[in-house]
Amino acid sequence: MTNAVVDVHNLEKTYGKAGERPYTALKGLNFSVAEGEFVGIMGASGSGKTTLLNMLSTLDTPTNGDVIVNGHDVTKMRGNQLADFRAQEVGFIFQDFNLLESLTAEENIGLPLALKGTASRVMDQAIHQVAETLSITDLLKKYPAQLSGGQKQRVAAARAIVHQPAILMGDEPTGALDSTSARELLDLLTTINQEQQMSVLLVTHDPFSASFCQRILFIKDGQIGSELRRDDQDRRTFYQQILTELGTFSE
Amino acid sequence: MLTKLALAGVKNRRRDYLVLLAGLTMSAAIFYMFANLATNQAFIKANAVVQSASIVFGFGAVLLALITVVYIMYANSFLLSMRQHDYGLFMMLGAKRKRVGELVFLETLILGTVATVVGILLGILASKFLVGFLLDRLGLHLSHLVSFYLPAVLFTAVLYVGLFILASLFNLMRLMRTTVQNLLHADQQANQPKVRPVRQFIAGLLGLALVAVGYWAMAAIEQLKLTAIPLALVTITLGTYLIFHATVLAVIRGLRRTKWARKHLNGFLLGQLNFRVHDYTRMLTIVSLLFAMALGAITVGSGYHRQMPLVADSLGDYSVAIHNPNAQQKHWMGQLDLAHQATYTQKVVGQTTYYNAAELKRTPYQQQKYSNKTNATPKFYTESLAKFKKSGSQSMNFIVLNPNKLGDFKAPKIVSAAAFARLNGKTYTVTTLRVKHLANDLETLGKLSKSEQRRFPAPHDGSLVVGTYESYQMMNGVFGGLEFIGYFLGIAFLAMLASCLMFKILSGAPGDLRRYAMLNKIGVRRSLMRGGLAKEIGILFAIPGIMGIVDVLFGLQMFKPLMSAPMSPYLGIGTTFAIFIGLYVIYYLITLGLYLNLVMPSETLQD
Repeated sequence: MTNAVVDVHNLEKTYGKAGERPYTALKGLNFSVAEGEFVGIMGASGSGKTTLLNMLSTLDTPTNGDVIVNGHDVTKMRGNQLADFRAQEVGFIFQDFNLLESLTAEENIGLPLALKGTASRVMDQAIHQVAETLSITDLLKKYPAQLSGGQKQRVAAARAIVHQPAILMGDEPTGALDSTSARELLDLLTTINQEQQMSVLLVTHDPFSASFCQRILFIKDGQIGSELRRDDQDRRTFYQQILTELGTFSE
Repeated sequence: MLTKLALAGVKNRRRDYLVLLAGLTMSAAIFYMFANLATNQAFIKANAVVQSASIVFGFGAVLLALITVVYIMYANSFLLSMRQHDYGLFMMLGAKRKRVGELVFLETLILGTVATVVGILLGILASKFLVGFLLDRLGLHLSHLVSFYLPAVLFTAVLYVGLFILASLFNLMRLMRTTVQNLLHADQQANQPKVRPVRQFIAGLLGLALVAVGYWAMAAIEQLKLTAIPLALVTITLGTYLIFHATVLAVIRGLRRTKWARKHLNGFLLGQLNFRVHDYTRMLTIVSLLFAMALGAITVGSGYHRQMPLVADSLGDYSVAIHNPNAQQKHWMGQLDLAHQATYTQKVVGQTTYYNAAELKRTPYQQQKYSNKTNATPKFYTESLAKFKKSGSQSMNFIVLNPNKLGDFKAPKIVSAAAFARLNGKTYTVTTLRVKHLANDLETLGKLSKSEQRRFPAPHDGSLVVGTYESYQMMNGVFGGLEFIGYFLGIAFLAMLASCLMFKILSGAPGDLRRYAMLNKIGVRRSLMRGGLAKEIGILFAIPGIMGIVDVLFGLQMFKPLMSAPMSPYLGIGTTFAIFIGLYVIYYLITLGLYLNLVMPSETLQD
């Protein structure tokens, strides 16, 4: 795989201080995400999904192994490099939105650009463009408290992609949404993935969300247990396949 | 069961409670110390100094009580903000409103009572050491100053417990009226204040007018007498609040539209300020007033302290006059940093003291040149003998050189050497000593003055003052009370200001913790976050600081009648301001450090 956006080798993570009984969350994980791919990571709670995502997004450091994102070895980064990496290469969508309630939707979306020091005019253009893609143009002047959950998550998605990151990572982005909003968001993510060729990595335990992915990695006890490819199946069939896989997987 | 839950809630937030308790305890201790001084009749009666300043003491106590009321209300709202989520949760789980109400009432009351009791105990201890230390540093010796005074204890206890009962009732009412939903989500609600330009403009104008009235009242204290102070206090408080209310929001809104706001974290900073502007206006008003009072009190206090020796240096012709100096006194004289020394022979016949003209011709008596210039170094001159006989020798400074201080005495006479030799009377010598700077030689001068008093006693009522050292002592007595109050109130206000800001910080930190964690996740550099926090807290410190300094500059007008030329309330305030601002900056840095510790996300996620 030559043009991989994410490349993970032998990733290990052990928690616990010296003297305590160590707990190994990830035991030598290997996988990669190709450019423009829509990959899902599934697993029961405690399987190491969130730990993996934290490693990929540099919020946590691995005990062993390499994580290469868009050509950068994130395990070798320190301090400002880490912050800059997060600001420029990664877009995030969280389960709890993580919007700053003291800023308007527009200001929230513009934040990654402001951090880069983008010119005001360019910023406006980018914000309006992404707002149009996500149909939230009429929400720009509102504060997060005035938005519904689905609207908030769309604003969060806009913030995650406004600066054209190499990869969009979602941590249970539909977890706090009702089914209609969840479907809308997933459709939007699919659109973004297809139209802008942006790689998407989705961590979820929800088979419905996962059925929008092209490929699903199942994590069990800190290792990739199995892998499913959607290929040319339609989403419904794929959904059934995931359910079946989950049924056998958890045994 | 509910009580147990409530206690568990308190336990979980014991650090916040500790800060709240510490602040309230300190406030009670300060109040007790002041009440002890202000109400202790034996102490007031025993000290003539304090008697003259008893109005100031009383006023100080009222001021302190007012500030305490505001302070407790502020602390109380912090307490409520801390607990409302828990209470909302209890109600959601099915606890009866009445039962939760009882809990709220009890919790506030218990906290208040503990703070009061500990505070009074601490106040008694502090009275014993701190007040003694302060008085000692100021060179004041006040008798009948006891650390434990029952009426003061009662006064403090009644005021504090009373206020806490009021606060409990207030909390109870708030809780009864708020819906469970609002209680649960109070900290997540975006408080977006509405902008009403016309209304805000009017409020701003009104604020300016009120502040102007307050400043005028302080300058016109001689016409308005004591009404000036409450008038100024009310108008300035209201005016400051209105000005902040009108301008802070408008300025933030204005800045948000600029390009500057779209760089780095500036927009976030403005959003933060805008978000909590309502809390801030109230707090900024209180803090700016406390700042002004602390700075004002310390400025006035240290003004007296600094200017008294200056005044004393220009209060007379010599520092001390010693009759027939003995070996010990001569030894002390040798230790002085002298500007001028002269020795004259005196002969006392009946009530008249005679001087030898030849001696006076050889060493003419130096007199002080009086000038109206403020802060002028005193100048001294001599007169020809003939002129001195007519004018200089009749001055009070020269007359009181008479060794017979207890009895009646007449104006001194200067006679020729021959006539002096013929006189039949008791012979003395008097040595007048003038030191370069009184403040530098206070200790030795004190010893000299004491031994002179022992050997040549003067009336006990202090009606006869010889030399600038004794004048200084007298003035020190008169102004000492004021000075002491200045330092005391200054320190008290600074301490309250400190804990007011501390409450603000602690009530804001949980929300900010979340926000900065988000910023960290989306890749904001740590240095940028630190800088943003430094700016945010810096602005919060700067606004009341600037307002407070302006308040003080106008407020010092109040002390003009008390500090007449060559003293001036504005003299040398630069140093005092610099020291105070230095302290304030140190406090800012400590606050910032604490806040960074609380709010900055760790480098890597460890959960």
